[in-house]
Amino acid sequence: MPSRIVAFNLNGRDVEVMVKPLTTLQTVLREHLHLTATKSGCRQGGCGTCTVLVNGEPMLSCLLPVEDIAGQKVVTLEGITPIEGLHPIQQAFFDNYAIQCGYCSPGVIMVIKALLDRNPNPTRQEIMDAIAGNVCRCTGYEPILRAAEDAARRLQSA
Amino acid sequence: MAVQDYFLPKSLDQALDLLVEHGPSLLVMAGGTIAMPLINDGVSMPEKVMGLRHAGLNTIRRDNGTLVIGATATLTQLGQQDYIPMLQEAVRHIGGWQIRNMGTVGGNLFAPPPAGDLAVALLALDATVTLASKKRGLRTILLQEFFTGFMTTALAPDELVTEVRVPLPRGKTGYVKYARKHANTPAIVTVATHIVTEGNKVVDARLALNAVGPHPIRAQRAEKLLVGLPLNAENISLAAKEAAAECDPSTDAIATDWYRRRMTEVFVRRVLEHLVEQE
Repeated sequence: MPSRIVAFNLNGRDVEVMVKPLTTLQTVLREHLHLTATKSGCRQGGCGTCTVLVNGEPMLSCLLPVEDIAGQKVVTLEGITPIEGLHPIQQAFFDNYAIQCGYCSPGVIMVIKALLDRNPNPTRQEIMDAIAGNVCRCTGYEPILRAAEDAARRLQSA
Repeated sequence: MAVQDYFLPKSLDQALDLLVEHGPSLLVMAGGTIAMPLINDGVSMPEKVMGLRHAGLNTIRRDNGTLVIGATATLTQLGQQDYIPMLQEAVRHIGGWQIRNMGTVGGNLFAPPPAGDLAVALLALDATVTLASKKRGLRTILLQEFFTGFMTTALAPDELVTEVRVPLPRGKTGYVKYARKHANTPAIVTVATHIVTEGNKVVDARLALNAVGPHPIRAQRAEKLLVGLPLNAENISLAAKEAAAECDPSTDAIATDWYRRRMTEVFVRRVLEHLVEQE
């Protein structure tokens, strides 16, 4: 079973990892690099909590062999969190009580980040469409929608 | 046993070579949205896997009257073309944003019902599938002939799907996916149609259904019934009843076969009525 070295850009830094064939990006993030903001949920592509941005596009790290994204840019929740304090989207989630158990939050926040990067002032329906692939097991969708709207306002006035 | 090797060919040629070299021990995937869940769960334990993400098959282009979709073009890419609005509509109803960024047009042909909500739209548009093998080169077959049964296709062991070709529709198109939620959900029934009329009469009809058969199917008796007749309430109702009679639904966690058949009638009727309202 030959292992291979895969190099990619993670949160602005170039990283190299040695992986067995078909190792997923999720496994690399959590088990090789100990970046555990990206959660492991269903590993079926059904829950969205492992969402990361690959070249700015939301993707499910549990279904993505890391070799597929060699040389590409990956951003995880760690990558948007400042050293001090929180990203405006994180702060909006905090202030709007959009985090209950918190398990879906990393994935949802990455999707909201990708949405607001493209569309700084989305409608409620556009937010709902964007997070359709993310399951909140506490069913706290209303506060999540409020937080996303609030985050859009904060980023526009920033 | 863990996967022993993972290949990422950089061209179709390399991919076909690998297929010849490793034969049936090689599991082929593109976006990974079907294969990876099975591998993660241990349901599928392939010895070797080939990923097609970098095989150069991901372009979408218009070639005169045909939309030519590379097999590994993502659903997101397909949603960005605007030559065939029905395909944009179909894409909107598949998975969530992440799945659409990963799942591919070619891969969707292998998604068993109740998944396969793009394939059903392609079926209504008389799409053809181009298959490539090292020994025999390219061949093109109708998508209708590609599906042979539940999770079985006309693809030979040494072949890959390279592109899907869709003639730009001459008539009106309609698509509806009926499910238990609005988004990111398996279908109870999906209906896609393409109807060509001359004067007030139907001259050509395609009525494709998904989630009510072993693979995306055409309701050919209902199609035949419509040809030569005006698309009015009475004929629409007859066609909807015929489609419900000829589909072959099964029961799963989403819905019973009885309910699926009832809803097939309802949604075939609604799709066709909507075409009339567009006039």
